Amino acid sequence: MKQGYTQVKRMTPAMRIIHWVNAFCMIGAVVTGLYIGHPYYQTFIADGAVDKYVMAWNRYGHFIIAIIFDVTSVLIAYLYFFSRFEKPYKKLIPNGKNITEFKAVLVNLLTLNRRKEFDSSHADSFNTVYFTIFHLLLVWMLLTGLQLYVHGLESGLSSIGSWWPWMLHLSTDWTLAVTGGTKMDVRIAHHTSMWLILCWVVFHIYYQVWRTIFWKEADIAIVIGGSKFVKDNTGN
Amino acid sequence: MSDRVEAVKKLFTSKSSRIETNKGDTYYQELFVKCEARLNELRANTPANRLDFSDLLEENGIDRREFMKWASATTAMLMLPPMFTPLVADAAVMMNRAPVIWLELQDCAGNSEALLRADGPKIDEIVLDIISLEYHETLQAASGHQAEKQLEEAMEHFKGKYLLFVEGAIPMGMSGQYGTIGASGETFHDHLVRCAANAAAVVAVGSCATFGGVPAASPNPTGAVGVMDVIKNKPLINIPACPANPANMVGVILHYLLTGQVPELDSLLRPKFAFGYRIHDNCERRAHFDAGEYVEEWGDAGAQNNFCLYKMGCKGPMTFNNCSIVRYNEAVNWPIGVGRGCIGCSEPDFWDKYAYERPMADAKIKAPTGGVEKTVDEFGLGMLTAAGIGIAIHAAASAVAGKREKSGESHE
Repeated sequence: MKQGYTQVKRMTPAMRIIHWVNAFCMIGAVVTGLYIGHPYYQTFIADGAVDKYVMAWNRYGHFIIAIIFDVTSVLIAYLYFFSRFEKPYKKLIPNGKNITEFKAVLVNLLTLNRRKEFDSSHADSFNTVYFTIFHLLLVWMLLTGLQLYVHGLESGLSSIGSWWPWMLHLSTDWTLAVTGGTKMDVRIAHHTSMWLILCWVVFHIYYQVWRTIFWKEADIAIVIGGSKFVKDNTGN
Repeated sequence: MSDRVEAVKKLFTSKSSRIETNKGDTYYQELFVKCEARLNELRANTPANRLDFSDLLEENGIDRREFMKWASATTAMLMLPPMFTPLVADAAVMMNRAPVIWLELQDCAGNSEALLRADGPKIDEIVLDIISLEYHETLQAASGHQAEKQLEEAMEHFKGKYLLFVEGAIPMGMSGQYGTIGASGETFHDHLVRCAANAAAVVAVGSCATFGGVPAASPNPTGAVGVMDVIKNKPLINIPACPANPANMVGVILHYLLTGQVPELDSLLRPKFAFGYRIHDNCERRAHFDAGEYVEEWGDAGAQNNFCLYKMGCKGPMTFNNCSIVRYNEAVNWPIGVGRGCIGCSEPDFWDKYAYERPMADAKIKAPTGGVEKTVDEFGLGMLTAAGIGIAIHAAASAVAGKREKSGESHE
């Protein structure tokens, strides 16, 4: 380890696994989702329809990914409140300390790292809020997506029993009213939210790289090795 | 506050599109007995007109066997078990005991046209021919004061018994002055409210009467709304689609005649027997959808091979209707069958949100910023580009500032 630096543990193995599962799921969901919205490549016209299953495979992949997202979302929601490592919800409470920290991190970003008046060794309020926005977007995608999905279970039956469509209707029918009343509105909202998530991802990657370069604390290593490095004299 | 609580409650208790296709033997046994009793009661009544169903069938060259085939198909369409077939056949014969008043509001009369189908009527149309159409604004011979007198007499004579069919939207703008009817210049709104007051049930036929349809499309200059936004205290059945399928009109009347009740409805008050499934689920081209075989442009090899029309903007996957099963004009054909996509005509706001004939991702719908028309993807790419530009500026500025900081440090 470099002299004068302390290693700070920031992400547990479970958190890192969830992070990368989410990242790859998202790539898969966007690739298959764009195809479902508008099939952007063609199948070989000479092959018989029985030999290819292109849209069906895309939908299959999209739904399997959605279910993995469902599971990780439940895990993340649990960890927000009950993690034995760090409970992110504590950074979301709008108390004086968190608001001050949020502002300080934002000022650091806007002043291009000229002012850095907060402790960057632990998870900060700004990033936690930013991550929470992502999780909320993801929950929104899940609910609108399940609403679109349940349209195909119109008979009220599914291979795992009638409780499943019943539960989907109960938990997602409100998205119809919220997005504008028709099934198409849910679809448009689902599609538009994908672009919001992509924008979120672009800034996320940029910001983590930016932190790594300008803070010189190896922040990018958090998501791979689980820890970053801070100077000994930064007051912890 | 209490309004909000009500709105939230409504949001979570509204009926879904879920349908029960089998309700169990006891239920059907009870229903059978009830229907039989009701038909006997009807048989005792004098017919409201002199049209005889059997004569009409014979005149149009339809034999008994064909009629019974129709009866069993209609029984299946109504999601009733086969034992109801004789009852459905009986009910069809007694259709001339069902008084109907038909209003024509803001629309193109396309549903009346569908109901008439004068060129080679089939059984559905014959059934609709013999219903006791007491008053029909487009079809009746009477006009002016004479027509109004006829309406009043019909409403008085069949008070609380007649079915009120409504075709067309109700203009609410300019206190309803966009549409008036009769010698006294009654607005469509007042006309509808007056006729609905003593109806047994109101049946909104076609997309205009159900959800406002084309007249209510953006920017909706006349402030058009559907019947369900005006009539709140009556049993209401919506039969959307543009035009509504005569098979579904017959289904609703038969169901009413048989059971004396409105059929089971979904959250948009559409009978579930007709609107419980998506077009997509029973589409003859569904295999091509799953295979990824799409018509890329009109008349290409895909079009010649009946490939899926999804990329030409077919909205079958989002549209609940039974036209892929019963089709139109006694199963002659339907939109997908003639090689063009579904435009979602039985869904609310279909003209603005479904009928653009390209996939949703390419639609020139209004962006969330309002006003400017952009496709969802163009809007998304724009947003992504804006984010990218912001990041690039920040990165460049950071790089420059970082250098300055270093040089500043060296000065100290």
